[in-house]
Amino acid sequence: MIDFEYVSKFYEGDREALFEVNFRLAPGEMAFLTGHSGAGKSTLLRLLLGLETASSGAVRVAGTNLADLSGEKLARYRRRVGVVFQDPNLEEDLTVFDNVALPLRISGFSESDIPRRVMAALSRVDLSEQALVSPKLLSGGQQQRVGIARAIVHRPALLIADEPTGNLDPELSARVMRMFTQFQQLGVTILVATHERAVVESLPFRRLVIERGRLISDGLGSKR
Amino acid sequence: MNRWLSDHRWAIADALKRVRERPIQFLVLIGLLSILLAIPGWLAQIWLGMSSLVPEEAVHSEAIVFLSNEIEFEERIELERMLGESPIVEHVIFIPKSKALADLSSSDGLAPLTQLADDNPLPDALQLRFVFSPDSGVSELSLVERIEFDPRVLSLRYYPSTRIQYGSMLEVLAFFGAGFSMLTILGVLMTVFLVSAADVVDDSKRIKLYTLLGASSRYIQRPYLYRATFLGIFAGFQACLAVIGLNALLSEVIINNLEELDSRLGSIPLDTRILLGIVMVSVASSWIGAERAMNQRLKGIH
Repeated sequence: MIDFEYVSKFYEGDREALFEVNFRLAPGEMAFLTGHSGAGKSTLLRLLLGLETASSGAVRVAGTNLADLSGEKLARYRRRVGVVFQDPNLEEDLTVFDNVALPLRISGFSESDIPRRVMAALSRVDLSEQALVSPKLLSGGQQQRVGIARAIVHRPALLIADEPTGNLDPELSARVMRMFTQFQQLGVTILVATHERAVVESLPFRRLVIERGRLISDGLGSKR
Repeated sequence: MNRWLSDHRWAIADALKRVRERPIQFLVLIGLLSILLAIPGWLAQIWLGMSSLVPEEAVHSEAIVFLSNEIEFEERIELERMLGESPIVEHVIFIPKSKALADLSSSDGLAPLTQLADDNPLPDALQLRFVFSPDSGVSELSLVERIEFDPRVLSLRYYPSTRIQYGSMLEVLAFFGAGFSMLTILGVLMTVFLVSAADVVDDSKRIKLYTLLGASSRYIQRPYLYRATFLGIFAGFQACLAVIGLNALLSEVIINNLEELDSRLGSIPLDTRILLGIVMVSVASSWIGAERAMNQRLKGIH
């Protein structure tokens, strides 16, 4: 599903953000991307989302080199990807329902199809009853779950999460990770960037460790 | 088609929501843009109004052509014939230098000049009276220039009619009016550009989110462009109301003068083309201003 082929990324002044990162994530696989702040996790995710292009090497998703995409093609690629942020980034002037419906509206789903899909996504994160309230009235954990519902509502083949538990307490973090595990079991490829050791160690998934832009470790967790 | 309708309906709803979120900004912008648009609209209205004013008793242009002293009789007759055949010359009258001297002598204090009759220093002259004939394709000025360079002619005095003077004034007014109008339209463009650019900066978080969710640039731009279109429509209509109001006010003030100038003119006619033009320019310049700003800023964000 995801192929990083000796990917390097240099910014102005030859500042090295990633150096010859090489890994492959199979369809339906879940992996953690870990490392300290500034190690290169965000750069890797930006490359994967097509927000930046690699200085050398190739980033391929489902066989497509992302460097070859631009404009409408790149937008179409992003519509097949679900993204969960540390800050759920919800629109406060929209209801929970409309926030979750955003990817569907952007992708051009018919208005008659949207309610069914939105309510299915909200029920997966146990927020069906909050559909018509403003996100302002929800707790931090609930807002994060709305963000997750928004990321999965269009049933993406690839889910990318950037510090999804960064603002949550351990109990809520565990709950969010359980949801990711369920999605993985449904066949979704998931890459979770996190620097929280407790989260990574609690689950038996593959760990990609990045340090100073280099992939220094790639292996399975202890539990299974 | 369904997708297209759905996208546009969503964009219009989003644009209206933005208007509701910042009503004061929207109203102030409408006021500002309508003032900027009313200025060229009003100038155009004045210009068209003035163009339609044709005094009933407009004085005809005249020219006195002083003939060279060495000119032969036949040459003078040929010149008279050539001028008389011009479609814009009503008549040509020959004034011999003896008559000119007599006329001059009859003026106060110049009686002794008659003593110079044997050595008359004045040249013979032709008096031309022009006729207004816009369809002839010949202008008075071009004919006057041609005569001036004729070797049979010593010099020429041209007395343009009020119509010609008025026309020249209108040309100058149109030139400055067009320049000033361009500046104000540029002002509208710049205003909408700056406001839209500021909106993009304000909404950068939202725009980044939409980008990550797979929204195309067109999808992201659409609500902003619709808002700019609403702005253009409202500002255009308000500018039209301002022009109509100013026209009524001015008509009230100068109505008596107008009637004296031309009894057919009871008021300054309001040209609907101007009103239509104001609305079209308003919408187009607002849209272009917003589109340019969005394109530039989105490139930076993407």
